[in-house]
Amino acid sequence: MIAWLGIVLSGLVTYLLRVAFLVHEKLKPPKAVERYLPLVGPAVLGAIALPGLIAPEGVVSWAQTVPALLASLVSAVVWRFTRQLVLGLVAGLVLWWGLLAGLAALGLG
Amino acid sequence: MPAREHDGRVSVDPPLEPRTRERAAVRAGIRDGALVVLGYIPFGVAAGIVLASTGLGPGLLISSSPIIFAGAAQLVAVQLVDQGAALALVVLTVAVVNARHLLYSASLQPHLADWSRGTRMLGAFLLADPVYALAYSRFQGPDGGGARRERIAYYFAAGVTCLIGWSGLVAAGLVAGRFVPEWVPLGLAIPMTFLLLLLPLVKDLPGAVAAIVGGLVAFAAHGFPLGTGILLGAAAGILAGALVMTRTRPRAPVDVDTAAHAAAPEAEPEAGPS
Repeated sequence: MIAWLGIVLSGLVTYLLRVAFLVHEKLKPPKAVERYLPLVGPAVLGAIALPGLIAPEGVVSWAQTVPALLASLVSAVVWRFTRQLVLGLVAGLVLWWGLLAGLAALGLG
Repeated sequence: MPAREHDGRVSVDPPLEPRTRERAAVRAGIRDGALVVLGYIPFGVAAGIVLASTGLGPGLLISSSPIIFAGAAQLVAVQLVDQGAALALVVLTVAVVNARHLLYSASLQPHLADWSRGTRMLGAFLLADPVYALAYSRFQGPDGGGARRERIAYYFAAGVTCLIGWSGLVAAGLVAGRFVPEWVPLGLAIPMTFLLLLLPLVKDLPGAVAAIVGGLVAFAAHGFPLGTGILLGAAAGILAGALVMTRTRPRAPVDVDTAAHAAAPEAEPEAGPS
């Protein structure tokens, strides 16, 4: 039950953020909000992504961290040239699996 | 029946009947929404697979898509709830992750000003990243997205298409998760997706600093109580980005559209989801 409450409240707060300036025509966001809010996206996504890229299985070790960071780098480069999220993701994951398999074959995984 | 058929005036311009134009707007909305959903396939399915690995029931997981219609926030909220985080922490984290929606709301306001309040408040429910991007680019067009009813038709058609599509992709991922063998590591799929969602948002130095500092602080805080890493990282990242911004362009004027655009993914649906 508490899980449902958490999901419903999360939906509610999302809705409130979206409706905030649509309720009344006269309501405008303060200048500071307009200026700094674009930083929220990069900061939040960085905070969500980077810990998982450094330790994809929850532990920091050479055998885990190096392949994950290398694959992420390649994924970012592929995205940079193709602008396709799908291609970046597939390239990164395939390389990651290859590196993990290679390390396992060498007895280092 | 449109009034002009009864008042004797000759209709000169609109080459098409309002009804026809509305139907065309609905079709355009469904088509654009469907293109977005296609681009979301890997993220949606990966999200479903990750959600399936939590201990929560399928009813709750499937419902979480339409209830929290915002991919990243949905994943974070479900994972926090699964780990038994305090409700206040879940809500606060979702608020931070979705704070950019404030800007979408402000940015679309002028285009929705002639809608009834009820319609606007209903529309707000659908205002996810891609729906904002689609509506914004259409309403910025030369004809401003057309008459009121055409804009409403396009917005709701695109929004509902994205809502149904996203829920379907996550559900497909929930099912697919049962067939992915244990030995296939998937731990990197979601962080890598978030990295690829992040890259298009980094358009200047303050944005890059915010992302890097946010990520490093969140990583450094991984030993802290559950879920606080995202909040601490976000706070540190915003602060660092704001500092750089103050140094590099002091008191530069900003308007809400520029700000919302900086916070949003590219308006072209092909450019990828967020």
